[in-house]
Amino acid sequence: MALLEVENLQTHFRGADGVNRAVDGVSFEVNSGETVAIVGESGCGKSVTAMSILRLIPEPPGKIAGSIRFNGKDLLKLSDREMRDIRGNEISMIFQEPMTSLNPVLTVGRQIGETLRLHQGMNKQQAEARAVEMLKLVGIPEPERRVKEYPHQLSGGMRQRVMIAIALACNPKLLIADEPTTALDVTIQAQILDLMRDLKRTVGAAIVIITHDLGVVAEVAERVIVMYAGRKVEEAEVGRLFRNPRHPYTQGLLGSMPKLGSSLTGEETRLQEIPGLVPSLKKKLDGCVFASRCAYATDLCLKVAPGLEEKAEGHIAACHYALKESVAA
Amino acid sequence: MFAYVVRRILATIPVMAVVALFVFSLLYIAPGDPAAVIAGDQATPEDVERIRASLGLDRPYLVRFGAWVWDIMRGDLGVSIFTNLPVSTMIQQRIEPTLSLMVVTLLLAVSVAVPLGVLAAWKVGTWVDNAVMSFAVLAFSVPVFVVGYLLAYIFALELDWLPVQGYTAFSQGFWPWLENLILPAIALGSVYIALIARITRATMLEVLQQDYIRTARAKGAGQRSILFLHALKNAAVPIVTVIGIGIALLIGGAVVTESVFAIPGLGRLTVDAILRRDYPVIQGVVLLFSFVYVLVNLAIDLLYTLFDPRIRY
Repeated sequence: MALLEVENLQTHFRGADGVNRAVDGVSFEVNSGETVAIVGESGCGKSVTAMSILRLIPEPPGKIAGSIRFNGKDLLKLSDREMRDIRGNEISMIFQEPMTSLNPVLTVGRQIGETLRLHQGMNKQQAEARAVEMLKLVGIPEPERRVKEYPHQLSGGMRQRVMIAIALACNPKLLIADEPTTALDVTIQAQILDLMRDLKRTVGAAIVIITHDLGVVAEVAERVIVMYAGRKVEEAEVGRLFRNPRHPYTQGLLGSMPKLGSSLTGEETRLQEIPGLVPSLKKKLDGCVFASRCAYATDLCLKVAPGLEEKAEGHIAACHYALKESVAA
Repeated sequence: MFAYVVRRILATIPVMAVVALFVFSLLYIAPGDPAAVIAGDQATPEDVERIRASLGLDRPYLVRFGAWVWDIMRGDLGVSIFTNLPVSTMIQQRIEPTLSLMVVTLLLAVSVAVPLGVLAAWKVGTWVDNAVMSFAVLAFSVPVFVVGYLLAYIFALELDWLPVQGYTAFSQGFWPWLENLILPAIALGSVYIALIARITRATMLEVLQQDYIRTARAKGAGQRSILFLHALKNAAVPIVTVIGIGIALLIGGAVVTESVFAIPGLGRLTVDAILRRDYPVIQGVVLLFSFVYVLVNLAIDLLYTLFDPRIRY
C-alpha cells in the first residue's frame, strides 16, 4: 500500500460565473520516503491539488471530491478535529512565500513550538528547547538567539528554513512543498534544495514537491507528474521523462527550459514556447485539454479526450499520438 | 523607548497650547456677557461694569490670555464665577463619577465589541455577520439619550433590576457602585461598541486572507487559536487605534449620559457651567478633557509595540 493514494480528485470552486474545475479527476500515489514532483504552468491546478490533500481549500466556495487515502485513511471522510491532528503532524506543508507565510507578530520559536505543543503535548520549555534543535537542524546559525527573534529580522532564505523547521518539527510522514524555492535567490534555492534532500534522508519523509521549475525537478524528484488544466497528462520516473517525454505538453515544457550557456556556444539561441494559454476551466471540454495549443492535434483530439495509457513501463501519458518517440526531436 | 516617551510628552505641550488658545478664544467669541449674568436683572449698567472690571474682563484679549495661561501653569484653573470655589476643587469633587463611567464603559465596550467583530469576520456573509453589522448600524444611528431613556424604562422602571438613576461612590462598595453604572455604560457604550466591532471585523477580514493564517491552518491549529492568537494579534494595531480615538466619543457622550442618568460628574458640571456662562469652569473642564485625550493616545501609541514587534520607538 502506498503512503498516499489520491484517486479521482476533483476540486471545484463555485463562483458567480459558473464552476471552476481547478482539479478535475487527478489520481496518483506517493510511496513512503519517495519524492514526487508535480509540474505544470501557473493555473494548472498544482497548488490546489496540494491544498486539497490537507483540506486547506475553503469550503464553500471550494468542493473536494474523490478520495485521498493516507495510510489507508480517507482524509476526506475525517472530521475537522481528526484532520487537524494530521495537519502539521503526519502531513505538513511548506509554502511558496517565505516572506509572508510566517506570522509577523510571533517569535520564530513560538511558531515552531506551536506544532510541538499541539501535536506532541510538549510544554512551553520543551517546545522552545526543541525549536532551538530544529533551527540548528535546518542550518540557522546562533539558534539560541534566532529562536527569540521575529520573522522580519530574518532574510528570505532563513525564513524558508524556519518554515522547513516548522514542517519537520513533528517528523511528518509526508511533506508537501508548494514551490518552496520560487521566491528565493538562485544561490539560496540551491541551499534550500540541498537542505530538503538532506533532511529527507534524516527524517525519512516522503516529499511531494510542486514546482514549475524543471531544474528543481531534475535536482530532487524521483518521479514526476505533469499536470495541465486540472488533469494529469503524464507521469514517469524522472530520468525517463526528461529523456523521453511522451506528451506534447511535457515536450513543450522541456523545450522552453533555458540551457545554461547555449547562446555562447551558438547551438540554439531561441527558446521554444508553447503558444496560447491554458483553456478556461469553467466549461467541460469534450476533446483533449491540450488540443487548442498542440502542434500535433487532429480532429480526433478535438472530439475524444485521450485516456491515461501506459506507453512504456511505468510511463503513462494522456495523448492519442504519444506512442511515437520521435515527436520529441 | 524612554527617550520616545519623553519626546512625546514634550510634544503634548504645543498641542495643549493650541487647545488652550482655542478654548480661551471660543468663550471670548461666544455671545452673552458673564458680568451681566452675575449682576442679575436688577443691576444698573454701573454694577455690570464694576463686576466686569473685577473679573478682569475689561482688559485686552492677549493680556487676559497671558494671565490665564500663567495661572494654569501654576496649577490654578481660576475661581468659578458662580460658586466662588476654585475650579480645581470643583473638578476634584466631580471627577470620580465620570472616571468610573468611562472606565466601566471602556471595559464593557472592548470586551463586547472585539469578540463580536471577530465572530462577524469568521462567519462573514452568514446571518451572524449580518446580525452584528445590523446592530452596529442601529447603534450608530440611535442617539445616546434615546438608548439611555429606553434602557432606564425597560430595566429600571418595568423590570426593576437596576436603579433608575444616580451614582454611588466606589467607597460605598463595589456592587452598589457598579449597579448604578451598568445602564449608563450600555447607553454610552453602544456607539463605541459599534465602532470597535466594525473596525475589528474589517481588519480581521483582511488578516484572515494572509498567508500566515494558511500556515497556521496547515500546522493544525484550532479555530480559536487561529482567530484570537494568529489573526487578532495582527489586527490589534488598527483596533487599538480606534479604541483610542473613540475616547473622544466617550467624553462627548458622557455629558449627555450624565444628564439622562442624573450622575453628578464632570459632564453635568460642564452643562451647568455653560448654562451659567461660568467661563473658568468651562475652560478648566475642556482643558482637562483634552489633556486626558492626548495622554490616552500617547498610551495607545506605546501599546503598539506590545502587539507588533516591527514597531520600534
